Amino acid sequence: MKVKIKQWNAVAQWRWDTGNKDAADDEEGDVCGICRVPFEGCCPSCRVPGDDCPLIWGECSHVFHMHCLLKWIGTAASKQQCPMDRRPWATAERRVDNAPPPTT
Amino acid sequence: MDARLRRVTREIADCKNDKTSSIKIETIDESPFHLKGSFPGPEGTPYQGGNFEIDIVIPESYPFQPVKMKFITKVYHPNVSSASGAICLDILKDAWSPVLTLKSTLISLQSLLCSPEPNDPQDAEVAKHYMTSKASFEETATYWTHIYAGGPGSKDAKQLNSGDDVAIAGLEHTHVDRFVELGFPKAKVVDALRRLNYRGNNIRNIPDDRVIEELLK
Ligand SMILES: [Zn+2]
Ligand SMILES: [Zn+2]
Ligand SMILES: [Zn+2]
Repeated sequence: MKVKIKQWNAVAQWRWDTGNKDAADDEEGDVCGICRVPFEGCCPSCRVPGDDCPLIWGECSHVFHMHCLLKWIGTAASKQQCPMDRRPWATAERRVDNAPPPTT
Repeated sequence: MDARLRRVTREIADCKNDKTSSIKIETIDESPFHLKGSFPGPEGTPYQGGNFEIDIVIPESYPFQPVKMKFITKVYHPNVSSASGAICLDILKDAWSPVLTLKSTLISLQSLLCSPEPNDPQDAEVAKHYMTSKASFEETATYWTHIYAGGPGSKDAKQLNSGDDVAIAGLEHTHVDRFVELGFPKAKVVDALRRLNYRGNNIRNIPDDRVIEELLK
């Protein structure tokens, strides 16, 4: 018998590696502080999570949805500061050499 | 669902689910953007034993603009208007950040009650009272907690529905009576002495002539 694959659906799970290993213990850890939606979801202006709605890291190590942070930085009230620590915002290089995510 | 509604709904639910917190947030009408918060007065302060209610209005561009909050419960504090409940606190103005929540902002208000900032007052008369005589200020703030915030009041305060005008103004009966005996109406005397900050050591700086001049205005 010959099986011909007409269609396939990829099923995978993913999560952003925010470098927060204790996310499970820390309720706030995996939520964008600006919109309070989990990083796995997208910002309120987007419909689909993933590469179209990326995260952004600051030099200070704080993480947000990029769209949320840019919206804040775009307001005069932000004074271009990180919403968490009020230090001048500086975008960090995207870290790719992280340890694998926890297996639990 | 718009971003503001989504965030506010989540915040209200989170606050309800947190059984350990003494901070409460509830809706008051159909609008999810007009809310009422409340918290107990901090222990070891004149506000202890009181329950303080806060009017909350969520602006259009929340969380990018600060939430609007003011005291519904009357409170005697240098950074809160004794007339309108308006609050002077940096995070409600230019130090706002979108990571602040309704709950964390209410916690900041609760701690404002612990640490008045008389140098950046909302109510100048109350701030003067605080700086002139802290003991007398605390007595008045405690009295306000008793009569307005449901604090454990003396029996006298509970019997007098409207409270004692002289105590509400943070003044001494002996001082008020002295000018009432000269023929001035009591309400006017209370008003004038409050405006002049007729308290503690400051009384030495206010000759009777000055008071009478104020009363004749
Ligand atoms: Zn976000
Ligand atoms: Zn987005
Ligand atoms: Zn930061």
